[in-house]
Amino acid sequence: METLLIDCVQSSLRHFMPRNSIFLCERLCAEFPTELNLQLLASCYLHNNQAYCAYHILKGKQMAQSRYLFAISCFQMNLLSEAEAALCPTNEPNAEVPNGAAGHYLLGLVYRYTDRRKSAVDHFKQALSMDPLLWAAYEELCILGAAEEANAVFSEAAALCIQQQQLNHGLNPQNLQIVSEDRITVLNRTLGSEDMSPRQLKNTQGNSIRDIPGNHHGAVLSGGPASQPFNGGSSNMSVYSTPSPMPAQLSGVAPPPLCRNVQPNINILSGESSPRSTVNATIQGPRRKFVDEGKLRKVSGRLFSDSGPRRSTRLAGEAAANSNLNAPQVGANGAGHSSARYLGGISSSSKLGLAASRSGAVRKGQTSASESFDDGRRSESFDDTRLDNATTNSSSASSSGDDKSLERERTSTQMGGVLTNGSRISSGVLELLDLLRILGEGYRLSCMYRCQDALDVYAKLSHRQYNTGWVLSQVGKAYFELVDYLEADQAFSLARRASPCSLEGMDIYSTVLFHLKEEMKLSYLAQELISTDRLAPQSWCAMGNCYSLQKDHETALKNFQRAVQLNSRFAYAHTLCGHEHVVLEDFENGIKSYQSALRIDARHYNSWYGLGMVYLRQEKFEFAEHHFRRAFQINPRSSVIMCYLGTALHALKKNGEALEMMEKAIVADKKNPLPMYQKANILVSIENFDEALKVLEELKEYAPHESSVYALMGKIYKRRNMYEKSMFHFGLALDLKPSAADVAAIKSAIEKLHVPDETEDL
Amino acid sequence: MATESSEGEEEGKAIGGNQHLVVDDDLREMAKKAAWSVSSCKTGNGVQFLRDDNLDTYWQSDGAQPHLVNIQFQKKVKLQLVVLYVDFKLDESYTPSKISIRAGDGFHNLKEIKTVELVKPIGWVYVSLSGADPREAFLNTFMLQIAVLSNHLNGRDTHVRQIKVYGPRPNPIPHQPFQFTSREFITYSCVR
Repeated sequence: METLLIDCVQSSLRHFMPRNSIFLCERLCAEFPTELNLQLLASCYLHNNQAYCAYHILKGKQMAQSRYLFAISCFQMNLLSEAEAALCPTNEPNAEVPNGAAGHYLLGLVYRYTDRRKSAVDHFKQALSMDPLLWAAYEELCILGAAEEANAVFSEAAALCIQQQQLNHGLNPQNLQIVSEDRITVLNRTLGSEDMSPRQLKNTQGNSIRDIPGNHHGAVLSGGPASQPFNGGSSNMSVYSTPSPMPAQLSGVAPPPLCRNVQPNINILSGESSPRSTVNATIQGPRRKFVDEGKLRKVSGRLFSDSGPRRSTRLAGEAAANSNLNAPQVGANGAGHSSARYLGGISSSSKLGLAASRSGAVRKGQTSASESFDDGRRSESFDDTRLDNATTNSSSASSSGDDKSLERERTSTQMGGVLTNGSRISSGVLELLDLLRILGEGYRLSCMYRCQDALDVYAKLSHRQYNTGWVLSQVGKAYFELVDYLEADQAFSLARRASPCSLEGMDIYSTVLFHLKEEMKLSYLAQELISTDRLAPQSWCAMGNCYSLQKDHETALKNFQRAVQLNSRFAYAHTLCGHEHVVLEDFENGIKSYQSALRIDARHYNSWYGLGMVYLRQEKFEFAEHHFRRAFQINPRSSVIMCYLGTALHALKKNGEALEMMEKAIVADKKNPLPMYQKANILVSIENFDEALKVLEELKEYAPHESSVYALMGKIYKRRNMYEKSMFHFGLALDLKPSAADVAAIKSAIEKLHVPDETEDL
Repeated sequence: MATESSEGEEEGKAIGGNQHLVVDDDLREMAKKAAWSVSSCKTGNGVQFLRDDNLDTYWQSDGAQPHLVNIQFQKKVKLQLVVLYVDFKLDESYTPSKISIRAGDGFHNLKEIKTVELVKPIGWVYVSLSGADPREAFLNTFMLQIAVLSNHLNGRDTHVRQIKVYGPRPNPIPHQPFQFTSREFITYSCVR
């Protein structure tokens, strides 16, 4: 009854029927209250967004997988300290983090949100080293500003690690599919294949095909121990001991440095002639099996079928060994892939554990049998590989693989890939790593605000990849940071067309439209986003920007506060709240909002800028300078920030530095007229009128319709007592329709044209 | 903000009432942080009803004329417009007919700057504070006093339903002599 219930629960989860799965799982736990069943129930709750239930049932459980699920529930309930304690218990300082890369990633998130940046960076790096395809970890590193170059991360070493995992993992989908089969047939078949193998010297395709089911069922069982790593590193031994003694035996047998052997194996797979002999000489049972496995795969179908029963043990040995060494790797892989493909991933792993326990006895026998086979086979495999005609061997292997995949409907393509030549795996892996390298480098550069470089990197992507929502919105963000709002608008609208339901980056798009003053487009965007997802903070940010553009700042503030409520970890919403507070002249709350934003993301340079502006308004110039400088350090390419830093320096009377900063800003972005204007301002204040006039004349070319330029020139001419010119320029300024306050100021300046202006405060 | 306004009558200094409140974009309500006080009020119709954005509630005075509404700011502010909501149909003899606006640094040196006469007003009444001179577009002051000198039909006490005070928006960029008008400047002038 237990297995039946487990099957039902997992199929319900696969079919997205959470209520069914929860009900059945609760019956299961009532009848058979083991910790694995509790884990299954917890994962049902997590799928149904009831993290609190999962928290309650898993509290205090010590199995690694339980700790991982418990940590996830704590994280979702925002109980970060408990999540941390679960993942990294304080009384076991050397305990391995459960679930490998996934566990490290979760722990990294916990540290990030509790402001322990260094630990967070460490854990993200570890997660990446265990699973180089864990993009989310790399993303977090970029956000924290601690990412290494993508070339280093998504490199050849990573490729090797991934291949290693692929070999393991290739059978896992099979396992998950097969798991639902009748256990008895599994046992029978493994026994059967065991018998068959001695006779497989002259193996035919038929035999090998028959063998494959055996392989897979063997794989099921080996998937058992392979799945054990899901349950985590340090408690491996305990996990193994509870369900079955067999995996423990295997893990004892398999020596730690399997990876070293794996790498030469992969080299073999890719057709190099590596010191196989040395490898073989030094190893014990399971490693040998893997080496054989590798070579066998490359060579003829005969050897291929030989690998049948051995594969199971090899995988068991390898998996177990991997679990000792790379437990995180396999586990993460399993967790990552299986959860990606099968929602019941975690539950199925526990199911496999049960399967393993049940078939433990059988496996033991099989193991010993295959070991002896291995010894016998080894010499033959050596001969075969010495013949080593890579292409022919691989073709035969691949053809056998193809046949098998045709024969077995349930063979996933990955399985086929695994069965065929190892080089096929490595090319897929290399392609994926290439893609991730480009994306990773682009993302890292845009997080460091080297936007032009990021755009160049993204341009290297294939058309297919480039025209996706994520990439296009990253491109849009890059243009936004370059203050090229028209290009950003274009990129973002393409992104909307490519994936109309994606909300990633749409808050930035709404800001772009705000800057461009496109009221229609902005309100349309906001409406669309709200109708897509009312509970996403980006939608409310867009709505708020819309109201802010219409100068209804109170409503805008309400909308931004709503966004904050929906996701208090969304830094940009806090920053926008701050902007609105400042416009409403509520500086205290503005400062609070900016500081909350910085607490979440210390590299959010908009918040540093916001704080600087507040202090500038409050005339606390040192504070203003400090904050602008922090913003400048984070984004050293922004001419706007440079301009404001210069203004702050000018206010502090450090005119030399201010002028330097303005020069830098002018150079940084030719299209930005403000630094020149500010430079003129500074020059006027130090009474260098000629220079100022020169700058302003130049500025006139750039921005011929800016009234403040003419107004300033009028002011300068007035100081120089060149009244006609002054009058002329003031007139021009008035023609360009300045604001009412300025009109008054200019007109009064005209009236007092002939009055000496010592007392004037214009 | 609202949409269009219906035109009111203009008879010399008398101004009719507008149905809707329409204010220029470059003006903003100034008196949120100001201290409001009145010369007298009836219980249950105090000064808060002048600022509650509710046109059904009103302030009712309870003493001798002139009735005063005092608005004191924390610092000198530029003011441009005062808007009152009064309703002859509902308030009849309580409707103010003559209003004087005074400004100064405090109670001791208030000076009258404007007087308006109302004739059966229904709705929002706009009283501009600007002088004729374009230089005097704004009134720079610490304190504003709105005095109700007389009511319609010689009523003693007065009802005022809402008062709003407007001034120019501050320069979004601090420490600038002038505000920016052109698109290029405004685009580069802030980080959002």
